[in-house]
Amino acid sequence: MDTVQTKMTTQFLKTMLLTCAAGLFAFGCGGAPAPAVAAGGGIAHTGPLKVTATIGMIADVANQIAGEHAEITGLMGPGVDPHLYKATRGDLDKLTGADLILYNGLHLEGKMADVLVQMAHKVRTVQVTDGIPQDLLREPPEFAGQFDPHVWFDVSLWARVSDRIRDALIEADPANKADYEANAAAYRKQLEELDAYAREQIATIPKEQRVLVTAHDAFGYFGRAYDIEVMGLQGISTTAEYGLQDLTRLVDIIVQRKIKAVFVESSISPKSIEALVRGVQDKGAEVKIGGQLFSDAMGQAGTPEGSYLGMVRHNVDTIVGALK
Amino acid sequence: MSDGFWIVLIGALVAGSCALVGCFLVLRRQALMGDAISHAVLPGIVIAFLITHSRNTLPMLIGAGALGLFTAFLTSALERHGRLQADASLGVTFTWLFALGVILVSAFTGHVDLDAECVLYGEIEYAPLYRAFWGEIDLGPRAFWVLLGVTLANVLFVTLGYKQLKLCAFDPGLAAAVGINAALWHYLLMAFVSITTVGAFESVGAILVVALLIVPPNTAYLLTDRLWAMLTLSVILGALSSAGGYLLASALDSSTSAAIAVVSGMLFILAALFSPAHGAVPRYLRRRRLLASAEALAD
Repeated sequence: MDTVQTKMTTQFLKTMLLTCAAGLFAFGCGGAPAPAVAAGGGIAHTGPLKVTATIGMIADVANQIAGEHAEITGLMGPGVDPHLYKATRGDLDKLTGADLILYNGLHLEGKMADVLVQMAHKVRTVQVTDGIPQDLLREPPEFAGQFDPHVWFDVSLWARVSDRIRDALIEADPANKADYEANAAAYRKQLEELDAYAREQIATIPKEQRVLVTAHDAFGYFGRAYDIEVMGLQGISTTAEYGLQDLTRLVDIIVQRKIKAVFVESSISPKSIEALVRGVQDKGAEVKIGGQLFSDAMGQAGTPEGSYLGMVRHNVDTIVGALK
Repeated sequence: MSDGFWIVLIGALVAGSCALVGCFLVLRRQALMGDAISHAVLPGIVIAFLITHSRNTLPMLIGAGALGLFTAFLTSALERHGRLQADASLGVTFTWLFALGVILVSAFTGHVDLDAECVLYGEIEYAPLYRAFWGEIDLGPRAFWVLLGVTLANVLFVTLGYKQLKLCAFDPGLAAAVGINAALWHYLLMAFVSITTVGAFESVGAILVVALLIVPPNTAYLLTDRLWAMLTLSVILGALSSAGGYLLASALDSSTSAAIAVVSGMLFILAALFSPAHGAVPRYLRRRRLLASAEALAD
């Protein structure tokens, strides 16, 4: 038995080794060469510029500014929390095939940003938030330089991002400079209108009840820009669960200040917010779930919330409708 | 060389290095060590961040590496001196370390996005993009060189320590009797396990490492009763999983890590069914033959 098995094993090993070698050989020779990308500043693309953006909000702005001159691909689709994003095989091709890569930075993309910074050797990569002066970025008092990455909640900051995206498109494709500038100017006007709209609308909520309660701390920029207090059950990181203390503290505030509604986020489970509502009801007060806000990802493509402008407008209208 | 080739090669190196130490973990009933380390690195990451105020890879890697070693050593110490079973000591160690990390996050770093997923774990899809440079010369993906180093170190360790590791795994009593320092070899093995896992986490992410530490060695375990064959087979099975997983992920446009883990699981199922010695189908056929010959004898 023992010798028979040894023989079987040896034969088996040989077969496997051969299969393996053949497989590797096929991969080495058969694999198509990676698409050639122009080094440095040269432009090698034919046809429309190929742009890959990490998050949907950036892809949307790029689309608005580029119009027909570029093909924009987003890596993270509707409802995908950037913190939980997993790459697929196709995402690699989207990056290597791009003439221009746009990303948010400020650690939003996590370790992927290391890769993007390094790719700058071969392809034009742009951190779209790098045009924002550092004193406009929020940072926790105890950790200087660890900025809050959720800048799209402040429309005036996102307008600066749109300027950066316009410049990046022009650098990559100077031939269509005039179109990019015209589109960007028109889009910037819409952003400014939206910024004013949000400020006006939020101001109609009585000051005492102007509090935005959500599951995690993503709305810091929104609160600062539009003068609404922001409270989250959790910090920015969703690793640590919220604590009992956080819950009772929030319940007390809601009861005391007669806050009418709390909000769930599209990319985070509503469980913790539901617990909060029950906690308030146990104290004999009334609070309702004011609706779903889009925080780290936009809505489905084709719906109004599937664009940056629509998403912000939806958030503002939902908040105002529920808190007023 | 194409990106696809690099992904398969890097996957194969992860598979190879994991399989070499994974075989010994499986034999010692510590197969879930990789999973334990993937959770237990959290306090290391938080402490490294609190000291350096940076989320860059190097401090994260050092913090995680230290905690990886600590996990492996603490597990073994609990088992040796705390009279716990191997699985129980593993469970105690990583749950309390992970919980400690969660408390550190809530107490100190709630305003910073800090978890292993976002600051430490890489993704195999992007491994080909992160290149190593010698001056201006492109040497290929950095993960390839890191994992090549880890794999060679593991090959060297397992070859040089083959006799000692084998005796310690199968008969610790005999090992002690012939003068082998079982504790020393055990801790050496743990050191290699934690370096392998943390290094591979950084290049290709956690799930792939956890799977490749366990599944190919167990598949090989079903196919042979000899340690050298088990080691060789598990490396080959791991490499096959990498190639097969890459093809599957390309066909479905899915996560490559997950596809590699799925293929290695399918190879395991094939082995469980058809392994010549231990497979369910050959065993059934043997029993039927035996019954038939017994009936023939009775007639």
